[in-house]
Amino acid sequence: MAKELAVNPGKCIGCCTCALTCAITHHGEFNLTKAYIWITRHEFDGTFAMTFSSCCRGCKKCALACPAGALRVVEAAGAAE
Amino acid sequence: MYGYSGKMLDIDLTAGKIGERPVEQDLAGEYLSGLGFNARLLYEEIPAGTDPLGPENVLAFNVGVLVGTTVPTASRTEASALSPATGLFGTANSGNFWGSELKFAGFDGVIIRGKADSPVYVWICDGQATILPAGHLWGRDAWETVRQIRRELGDDAIQVAAIGQAGENLVRFASIENGPFDAWARTGLGAVMGSKNLKAVAVRGRGAVRVADRKEFLQAVEDTRKAIFSSPFYGSFCRFGTMLASLPYQEFGALPGRNYQRGAIDGWVETRSRKVLPRYSTRGVACMACPIACAHWVEVKEGPYAGLRLKDLEVTPVIGFGAGCDINNLPAIAMLTETCQRLGMDMVSAAAVVAFTMELYEKGLLSEKELGFSLDWGDERATISLLDMIAHRRGVGDLLAEGVKRAARHFPGASRYAVEVKGLECFLLDPRARWSTWTLGYITNVRGGDHLRTRNPVENLRYNENPIPYLTEKFGFPEEMYDRLDMPEEWKKEIFDPVTRDVNIPKMSRWAEDLIAVYNALGMCIRPPVLHTVGPTLFARLYTSLTGIDITPAEVIRAGERIWNLQKLFNLRHGEKPADSDYPSRFYDEPVTAGPAAGRRLDREKVREVLREYYLARGWDPNTGVPGAAKLAELNLTEIVERYDSQKRS
Repeated sequence: MAKELAVNPGKCIGCCTCALTCAITHHGEFNLTKAYIWITRHEFDGTFAMTFSSCCRGCKKCALACPAGALRVVEAAGAAE
Repeated sequence: MYGYSGKMLDIDLTAGKIGERPVEQDLAGEYLSGLGFNARLLYEEIPAGTDPLGPENVLAFNVGVLVGTTVPTASRTEASALSPATGLFGTANSGNFWGSELKFAGFDGVIIRGKADSPVYVWICDGQATILPAGHLWGRDAWETVRQIRRELGDDAIQVAAIGQAGENLVRFASIENGPFDAWARTGLGAVMGSKNLKAVAVRGRGAVRVADRKEFLQAVEDTRKAIFSSPFYGSFCRFGTMLASLPYQEFGALPGRNYQRGAIDGWVETRSRKVLPRYSTRGVACMACPIACAHWVEVKEGPYAGLRLKDLEVTPVIGFGAGCDINNLPAIAMLTETCQRLGMDMVSAAAVVAFTMELYEKGLLSEKELGFSLDWGDERATISLLDMIAHRRGVGDLLAEGVKRAARHFPGASRYAVEVKGLECFLLDPRARWSTWTLGYITNVRGGDHLRTRNPVENLRYNENPIPYLTEKFGFPEEMYDRLDMPEEWKKEIFDPVTRDVNIPKMSRWAEDLIAVYNALGMCIRPPVLHTVGPTLFARLYTSLTGIDITPAEVIRAGERIWNLQKLFNLRHGEKPADSDYPSRFYDEPVTAGPAAGRRLDREKVREVLREYYLARGWDPNTGVPGAAKLAELNLTEIVERYDSQKRS
């Protein structure tokens, strides 16, 4: 069954576990500058923006690590047909 | 090194010199990092007779070694110095993103000594540190300081540890704010920064934390996540954060209502409990790597405080101001939270000082003329004015800035209203109404009157019973939790009744203190879903696989014990006496006057007995609470004590 990443930035809690997971998965170290996803924390507004790099390999490890439901692995649209 | 950055900054503000020192692998295994490194450093560097507000005091920030990784809740940094509040080991722990940023910048810690000629801040970026002028920041509040430093250095991701006006003016309960909304709050470390003319430490890093055994580390992280998610408190903590406790405290009659005069408050549930929280709280906001996000974003949309937007409406200010000062609505408490965050004051102590002052006013020991305004219970506007006077040491605020113990000396008859231990205002749960590991912690805690270093990992909010008065408390969880508790079997046998599972309070206190010392050394958070489930076994796996330094679960808890004992030894050097480990007289002499615990007070003899049991559980002299030679040898502390105490004494 095809899977895809569902993104809901409104649910992001800003913990950056996604970015740390990406870095350790693809670069073998915890390094936020090497992650293919990054979280911008607007601290005085209590909001967070999620950005994916064009280098993202679509492995979805970030979604498996996300504790907040901001990133989820779901069945690809149309997969049921 | 793996896990560690491998070095600390050592900054002398008097000389304007920035040095570095390596993290030694031998010390790492014995003291881990964070609080452990601070305990060792302060013991080596701060002799008896040091002035906490003098240039010779040393302020250390050390980050937990697990920080900067995906270990759940690993975000925390310990700040420590000789405390201006207690004159003893001053220490506080904070999360957010400052610690991870420092590690990514290439440092495990920052040591600050001396005093700058004029206000400065320290800027640490990618392996470099600079001392910059801060004259333009002096006098500004912590929120403005964070904003301005980010603006002038041109990066919104910079993490800033800053003081507000309270720290500048040497208020003895000034905090170091960690960004706008978090803080190293207790024991007055903000005043230590102020005494050094140090406004802020700003950090930005783009480096890496490296892992020794990636496969095993990621498995240990996954097992830690599963353990935390299995806690029965996990869901409710995500939803309510620490406000979870706001209802049971009222039900137990253990609120510090009107400066510990009333254990329960009419209308509490409808006005100040977690039931009201959803009106103002919108979403969770996490620290680095935290899956709980116990803090919430709060917005007040109507009424006199409409427009307030801040992180956190935690149980601490809600009980401190809401019960202690009887301020009866959450928007006003949110305003007071912001006021403390901006001025840079520990909210526990600030609320306690206001409650103390309100009682002096009620009892006629302090007049409207002396204050400049009336100060009735529940008067939120007067509270804001008073906090401002304290932070700027204006009028009677100058006396109150000294904390309740010192301030009470200026008002004849006031010492009975000063609720503090070792000079630190007590946290906000009344031991007369709820006797537990938590409340025994007020008198065993090395940093003075609070519970955060002595929390029962299986504390329950269902029962408020002591099956054996003063000695045991109820377990309160299903048997499954007992089985899963990460504690060696021999300890379980010591601490829990084999049939009822009742908890032996003095023995649990010793376990909890050592365990929490490990949490504060490794950088994890002691929120209940974590403290419930993560102990020495998981810590040993995480530490060994991250750093490559082998450690066993027994060695982990032994490190915690070593760190605790070293803090105690530091206190003894700085004049702590056996009589200091005692509750304020109010808890013995006056009964609670309202709520289900009305009429209850503490029994001096029983407290003495249980304290003796605690000293025995620690292997200390049961009468004096002093660690003996055998204990020092067992913990490999003999050499450091001989070297540093004999040297400094001579």
